[in-house]
Amino acid sequence: MARTLMRFTGVGGQGVLLAGEIFAAAKIKTGGFGLKTATYTSQVRGGPTVVDITLDDEEIFYPYANDGEINFMLSVAQVSYNQFKKGVQEGGTIVVDPNLVQPSDEDRKTWNIVEIPIITIAKEEVGNVITQSVVALAIANTFMNAIDKDALIDTMLSKVPAKVHDVNKQAYELGEKYANEAMNK
Amino acid sequence: MGTREVISSGNELSALAAKDAGCRFFGGYPITPSSEIMHEMSDLMPEVGGACIQMEDEIAGVAAAIGAGMSGVRTMTATSGPGISLKAENLGLAQMTEVPLVVVNVMRGGPSTGLPTRVSQGDVRQAKNPSHGDYRSITLCAGNLEECYTEVVRAFNLADRFMQPVFVLTDETIGHMHGKAMLPTEEEVRAGIVPRKTFDGAPEDYRPYGVGSDEAAVLNPMFKGYRYHFTGLHHDAMGFPTEEIETCRKLIQRLEDKVMAHRDEIELNEEFMLDDLTGAEGEVLIIAYGSVSLAAKESIRHLRAAGIKAGLFRPITLWPSPAESIKKYTDKIKNVLCVELNIRQYTEEVERVSGRLDIQGLYKVNGRAISPYEIVNKVKEVF
Repeated sequence: MARTLMRFTGVGGQGVLLAGEIFAAAKIKTGGFGLKTATYTSQVRGGPTVVDITLDDEEIFYPYANDGEINFMLSVAQVSYNQFKKGVQEGGTIVVDPNLVQPSDEDRKTWNIVEIPIITIAKEEVGNVITQSVVALAIANTFMNAIDKDALIDTMLSKVPAKVHDVNKQAYELGEKYANEAMNK
Repeated sequence: MGTREVISSGNELSALAAKDAGCRFFGGYPITPSSEIMHEMSDLMPEVGGACIQMEDEIAGVAAAIGAGMSGVRTMTATSGPGISLKAENLGLAQMTEVPLVVVNVMRGGPSTGLPTRVSQGDVRQAKNPSHGDYRSITLCAGNLEECYTEVVRAFNLADRFMQPVFVLTDETIGHMHGKAMLPTEEEVRAGIVPRKTFDGAPEDYRPYGVGSDEAAVLNPMFKGYRYHFTGLHHDAMGFPTEEIETCRKLIQRLEDKVMAHRDEIELNEEFMLDDLTGAEGEVLIIAYGSVSLAAKESIRHLRAAGIKAGLFRPITLWPSPAESIKKYTDKIKNVLCVELNIRQYTEEVERVSGRLDIQGLYKVNGRAISPYEIVNKVKEVF
């Protein structure tokens, strides 16, 4: 496998950090290397947050994504989208929540912009807004085909309390379903 | 490299290392980007019969940790640059009274409040001399996740060997980076613990500071029947204040010599792809430490792919500096580039030990990491 670079962006408090940790841990458990780095501002909540995830079969040294090399980005906040989109390679996929992020026409020419209402899915279909990070996880993995689905779900479940396993599994399946629908459009 | 696979962050690994190395007290005050160390310690210490206390401020945090060290247990505090500024006076007290202590500094942008959530290596010079007066800092610098663990373990053993505070510098990047680390097992770490020396003769013969000219004080744990005195003033063999000329001179000279006469026990470096550098025209020596060395290693992959023979010298012990080891390479290789997340803080040391004033530098102080491509471009630009 060549190096896979993914970036999740949002605002502080949305839980994008955990999704990054799950990706890195699942890759490591399946025998490769994974690194997660996060940058955030001094604002406790509401500041732009970015999580870079690097997955590789070879050892990874530098833990951040270089601008222009990111294969996949997911964004649930306009402020972070604007600030961090330039890291995505031309033609790369950017998944946005259309209720929160409005890409420009220029952006749509540069990247493969995909609109999935991530927060609405978590809030209304799963019934728990906190599961948005798992919906995002499923979408990213479906687009990138980065990690064996079962390994990723196992790692995800190991990081959440047992009583919410079912809703998180449901969130994953829904994320996957929406991603597949978006890809087949 | 160890055999225990752990998926974690640098800060969590620093705390785990402390527990495994026998630390049983943590005193501190939360500060970004080091807070996770205290969070972890507050879970880990009670599990092993130790204590973790959040004090009212940074000063009290280190004071509590020093107090625990005086009583005889392995002790740690963790902070970031602004915290070190506040702790400086008490760090001087620990140097003077020869109390072992591990201080982890997860560096962020400075001076003052600086850039709280951003990476920096701006505290390298501060770590050398945080407090006034003559003493020798022992400062280690972790360059990857594994070393957030192994360097904290080494710091505890060095603190007990040299009876003084030992710094471990990490930074926001490594502290918050999350991934795989291959660690030694807890049993291996425990087998490597060398506790501080103690005196077991008759109490009336005990002279805690009456040791050889290059030896560390022998401070028995408290409540074992051995009496002595702690003071920040110049003191005699029993620890009581004195102005006697020779005693004062010998004390401070001993603080210098106990470290500098035994630098070989402290020095640790990594030499990355330096094997095949012969001193031929066009070869490049990069000197970097801490998280910057991660970018340097990737840049060396790119440079070599482009036909430029480059290698990295990475000091893991920053202070005392590995003077002879640096000079060996700077004597041989003409093109030398120091890469730091500060302005020339270690380059000046490289200039001093190499005797060269043509060392090139790449510096960044905006809170963002230096990327591998920036290093590649700098090498192509200046050499």
